[in-house]
Amino acid sequence: MASRKTQILAIDAGGTMTDTFIIDDMGEFVVGKAQTTPGDESVGLLHSAVDALSFWGMTVEEAFPQLLTGVYSGTAMLNRLVSRKGRKVGLIVNKGMEDFHRMGRAIQSYLGYSYSDRLHINTHRYDPPLVPREWTRGVTERIDLFGNIVIPLYEHEVEPAVRELVDEGVEAIVISLLHSYKNPTHERRVRDIAKATLRKLKRDLPVFASVDYYPVRKESHRTNTTIIEAYAADPSRRTLELVDERMKEQGAKFDVRVMATHGGTISIRANELARTLVSGPIGGVVGGKYLGEALGIQNIVCSDIGGTSFDIALITQGDFTIDTSPDMARLVLSLPLVAMDSVGAGTGSFVRVDPYTKSIVLGPDSAGYRVGGCYPEGGLDTITVSDCHVVLGLINPDNFLGGQIKLDRERAYQSVKEQLADPLGLSVEAASYGVIELLEAQLRNYLESLVMGKGYSPTQFACFSYGGGGPLHTAGYVRGLGFEDVLVPAWAAGFSAFGCGAADFEYRYDRTLDINVGANATQKEQVEAAGILQEAWNELTEKVQQEFEKNGFQSKDVQLRMYFRMQYQGQLNDLEIEAPLATATTADDWKVLTMTFEETYARVYARAARSPELGYTVTGAIVRGSVEVPKPKIPEEPYYGETPPKEAHRGIREVYWDGEWIQADIWEMEALKAGNRIEAFSIIESPATTFIVPLGFEAVLDQHRIFHLRELD
Amino acid sequence: MATRQDDLSVKPEGLLHQQYRRTIGWNGKTLKAMREEVDRLTEESGYYAGLKELPFKQSDPIRFEKIFSKLRGGLVHARETAKRVAASPIVEQEGELCFTLYTPEGDSIVTSTGIIIHVGTMGAAIKYMVNHNYEENPGIEPGDIFCNNDCQIGNVHPCDVHTIVPIFWAGEVVGWVGGVTHVIDTGATGPGSMTVGPVTRYDDGYQIACRKIGKNDILSQDWVIESQRSVRTTKYWLLDERTRIAGCHMIRDLVLGIISEEGVDSYRQFTREVIEEGRRGLINRVKAMTIPGKYRQVSFVDIPYRHEDVEVPPYAKVDTIMHAPSEITIHPSGQMELDFSGSSRWGWHSYNATTVSFTSGIWVMLTQTLIPNDRINDGAYFATKFDLPYGAWMNPDDIRTAHSYAWHFLVSAWSPLWRGLSRAYFARGYIEEVNAGNANTSNWLQGGGYNQYGDIHAVNSFEAAAEGMGACAVKDGLDHACAIWNPEGDMGDMEIWELAEPLVYLGRSIKPNTGGYGKYRGGCGYESLRMVWGAEDWTMFFMGNGYISSDCGLMGGYPAASGYRFEAHGTDLKERFANRLPFPQGGDARPADAGYEQVLQADVVKRDKQAITTEQIFENHDLYLNYLRGGPGFGDPLERNPKDVEKDLNGGYLLPEYAQKVYGAVFTKDERGHYQVDEVATQKRQQEIRKERLARGVPTREWMKTERERIVAKDAAVQVRHMYATSFEITPKFLEEFKEFWDLPVDWNLLEQELEMPTFGSSHRMVNKQK
Repeated sequence: MASRKTQILAIDAGGTMTDTFIIDDMGEFVVGKAQTTPGDESVGLLHSAVDALSFWGMTVEEAFPQLLTGVYSGTAMLNRLVSRKGRKVGLIVNKGMEDFHRMGRAIQSYLGYSYSDRLHINTHRYDPPLVPREWTRGVTERIDLFGNIVIPLYEHEVEPAVRELVDEGVEAIVISLLHSYKNPTHERRVRDIAKATLRKLKRDLPVFASVDYYPVRKESHRTNTTIIEAYAADPSRRTLELVDERMKEQGAKFDVRVMATHGGTISIRANELARTLVSGPIGGVVGGKYLGEALGIQNIVCSDIGGTSFDIALITQGDFTIDTSPDMARLVLSLPLVAMDSVGAGTGSFVRVDPYTKSIVLGPDSAGYRVGGCYPEGGLDTITVSDCHVVLGLINPDNFLGGQIKLDRERAYQSVKEQLADPLGLSVEAASYGVIELLEAQLRNYLESLVMGKGYSPTQFACFSYGGGGPLHTAGYVRGLGFEDVLVPAWAAGFSAFGCGAADFEYRYDRTLDINVGANATQKEQVEAAGILQEAWNELTEKVQQEFEKNGFQSKDVQLRMYFRMQYQGQLNDLEIEAPLATATTADDWKVLTMTFEETYARVYARAARSPELGYTVTGAIVRGSVEVPKPKIPEEPYYGETPPKEAHRGIREVYWDGEWIQADIWEMEALKAGNRIEAFSIIESPATTFIVPLGFEAVLDQHRIFHLRELD
Repeated sequence: MATRQDDLSVKPEGLLHQQYRRTIGWNGKTLKAMREEVDRLTEESGYYAGLKELPFKQSDPIRFEKIFSKLRGGLVHARETAKRVAASPIVEQEGELCFTLYTPEGDSIVTSTGIIIHVGTMGAAIKYMVNHNYEENPGIEPGDIFCNNDCQIGNVHPCDVHTIVPIFWAGEVVGWVGGVTHVIDTGATGPGSMTVGPVTRYDDGYQIACRKIGKNDILSQDWVIESQRSVRTTKYWLLDERTRIAGCHMIRDLVLGIISEEGVDSYRQFTREVIEEGRRGLINRVKAMTIPGKYRQVSFVDIPYRHEDVEVPPYAKVDTIMHAPSEITIHPSGQMELDFSGSSRWGWHSYNATTVSFTSGIWVMLTQTLIPNDRINDGAYFATKFDLPYGAWMNPDDIRTAHSYAWHFLVSAWSPLWRGLSRAYFARGYIEEVNAGNANTSNWLQGGGYNQYGDIHAVNSFEAAAEGMGACAVKDGLDHACAIWNPEGDMGDMEIWELAEPLVYLGRSIKPNTGGYGKYRGGCGYESLRMVWGAEDWTMFFMGNGYISSDCGLMGGYPAASGYRFEAHGTDLKERFANRLPFPQGGDARPADAGYEQVLQADVVKRDKQAITTEQIFENHDLYLNYLRGGPGFGDPLERNPKDVEKDLNGGYLLPEYAQKVYGAVFTKDERGHYQVDEVATQKRQQEIRKERLARGVPTREWMKTERERIVAKDAAVQVRHMYATSFEITPKFLEEFKEFWDLPVDWNLLEQELEMPTFGSSHRMVNKQK
């Protein structure tokens, strides 16, 4: 079987298990699992790869030399952060503001909470600060928002501050001064004095000045992110190096790349490694973008249902939306993150009847791996959406996760009866069906309002549905929305890992700007404005190219894309827009930029909200640079025909649907062939996912092993 | 939005041009007749609109829930989207905007996230239009836009500006949608949204009384011109208005979409039932969480107007105190009554409130504890009975009253309600729900002039959104966390406030000793030291409690620290900076030490308890301290775990001398400044303090005897006597109870005429003329 040509390796090193995902040149893939080995993750990774390759009868020695590329994503850094097991970091800030980091801007006391708990103040709490107050020192200086020096740097305060931190035993020093993104001189001077002091003390501690990493406005975000760089990211670099070394020892001929928050992959040598803090959830969106490119689809709604949440992301005109000041792990950050909206509604969501209003409440908490009442070993009494699936016959209790877990339909039935059906005065089946209907209605509303809120209509979009629970509900949540197409890849359960393998090798750098141009600006003012923007683009371009040089790419290999962030003067929200120009130097160029902004603004906020009379502000410059890397192939199969092969049919099951028991055809997903048309009512099963084709729909499998779900008129 | 309209079977543009009928209520009724009918049915039956049963919900709970979730999700989403149009950090960062959907009669059905006080205020405006026959003149037509911010029509304060849009279906009003934002300036006597100067309605700024400002979805030009000439911050006004209109139109489209899917009859039935459901929901919560009975509590806050830094007309130059006694009665049925009899009279200051802001605003508090969920609508209002004495500060009997910072009294009057509810939770065993009360949500840093960009500007810092929280019965109150009007506190980034205000930060620090002491202490507040920089013709003022704590500890806990002000003018900071000399930085940890003044020369330093001022002129390099308050404590401080005292000392939450005095802590401090509390010695010292307390104490009856003598002799500060005199005058019942409690002579009374104070407003009023 060594005839398989392995191409792409994607690694997902979780807290307990490491998954490897290996794709061959036919687009086929295998998934391996092994325990994560926290001390040296490369050990667990190799075990996992051995497990994966065993399905193809291959060895690591055979497979690795053939690989074209490998992408790592992992939770080690996040775990280090969340469990507060990072480095002992010292922090230097403005004198007088030593408390701001631990104060968490108040907002960090309820980040990540459900709506109900955000209101319910007795539940609020702060996590311990990454840097406690006793390892924080202040130095005197002030720079204002324009970059003017208000108070000169009191240089004599720096060395004692550094000495005290060293005495406290810190292992790294972070410096973050107000408005340093605007005028970095003081912060860099503090950095240089700190380094000189450390040399004097013969101490080799890393020093991180925020401006060298994240030169963007909002000190809480910038400081947190720079601290994470020192606290969790930099210490994780050795882990990544070990992974890279170990793979090369096994014959790999490429540099391992790491999935980053902006939806691209970066080198393990990248300056800003905190960008790789969170990557798992965005893998699917990256995969959606890649699949969209391959299929020629520009506008995509990516939807993913897992056990705990429903995640949606939009790809418009072939691009992600980026959130530049997101929060993760209950911290506000200044990382560019692929924008995803999440609702706490998944297949494992608990279902309750509110004792006060007698309304059905879904989530926001969920059973997770404990599934629900149908899984006695999970030890849960409260019913979940999965219990309703079981009652209705949508899930085969004997084939859940490929039969690894046996579910108890009778227990699910009794639980739903006691907790839901009887209190509402409905039959068990009607109550279960109602839950699914309600869940899908909520998801559908959410999906619709998200698309419409961005100024689009679903008819302009294709919807990709994946994740373990996605295809169960796809028909329910797209019903009536009129998507151009609805696609369910047959590898839906592994779509996130596929996405990681498909990510670009791309760096993205942001810089805060404040270019104000009035509504009646002169030509000269417009030229000046364009010039400042161009200067920022030049600086960021250089930064991008330097990063690629570390992996041996020359500047001519790098494809650059320029972006700007613009708003009406005085507004607080900007829009990120790709510049339709390669360079901006003239007044005409400036006008092109403002025109592009006006068009986008009118689409997002309605035409009536446009306010050109206020003038414009450019708030940021962004450069994205990428180089060519191998990507997984999309599967390609010969056309077989509309009628599915007999062996794909796995029998018939009774399913309760909209008031009656009906006969559903059960199909084995892997056995279906290109061109097969699956009519309602059908349930297409694979070990990791269940795809439902309900009444009013049909599904057709195309030659790329993607199902197209169609709503019949 | 265009795409949504395509989905509808009846096109809104068709509706816009449709000839409206003369009556626009349901089934040929006028809106006024509908209002009367709902009130009558509710009154007669005790159920909203007479709904003893909920047939829709009972027969099809899933569909009912689907409509709710679609409406609620749509409102939240409209708010999130519209918010991004705004320029004001108050709206965009602090989220001070809210959208609510109403019935044709003005009862709220569902509300977005945001400032929930507005579930009722815009409803009051709609009811006003309904009751004043707006359908005849000026007419209510599809595509109309109405605006209101008039306090006497039920608004909280003029800076909450409402945009209200009717929703028509086939020629009938099926409802209204209202949007409100907290604007930065209303063109009042002083700059800032909640300015201190106003003492009458005519100083409060631009007031729009339920005015039609647009037709066919377009604002009238005369309106745009007039409003732009009436406020200081024109750009923000403009974008705030666009924010409100954008949200209202999104929600109107949403409702029309639901009606086309579900049918108008189902929609109407849903709106009625969901309000009745809200009423039942609250009653069930009250039943589950509390114990029936009467819970009494009180609060006060200072009105220090007889001061040279409060520039107001002579009749307003009064030092007095706001009085807010309250009695919560929980009936076995779950019905709740809130009686504020004994409250003091309205006054010539900016802190009066209307009944609607009071009865509606209470939900911002109750959703943080009793009903933390999304099902808040007027049903909760119908489940609660309020007694707000006519003529009191929350129910003025005179149209002249000013309201620009009504919250000063509201937040003070609501703090005791936490204590009442907490006693009920405690009794029922829900000790995790206990909360000793909310902080006084001040200081408000406000002012205006030419800003750092050379524009005329007003500022209103919302750092006040992160005050200390009241202590719980199982843990300390959270530090610098939230505000009673916004549980989702956010102090904002300094770099963002410096974009909005020509004031650079010289400090942002946790303020020790500001949380009330207790077994579990109140959350501490914080403070920001600001230096004026880049401004011209700049003024600022202070707004907060100073002489009085407006909250109170619970079950032995202490109240939070009260406020004070620090400002410095004509400083030598420029020279100090140039010469690398020390200067005020960071916190003013122990105000009595006047630490800032040790490193500062200034022509004028004002450091006193006068925490309310009107506009003062500030030059560049002048200083202003913005101190945000802490929350009250729970339980006897002598029961506090010594380890927690040690943590407080090391964290800078507690000053050492108070660790000794209040907690009886015995501790040492090492050369690195770390404190270590000696547990055994501390316990010994605590025993001694208990003995000292016993030695100092007198039996209650004896104490009451001496206190009674003082009352008979009217031996109290004039501010206290003035406060009581106004309370007695408005509510004879309160006077009788007071006399009975203290066993006073039958003819005992305390009259305002006895006091040497201005009495404008005490006799020439419209008492009982309106009622």
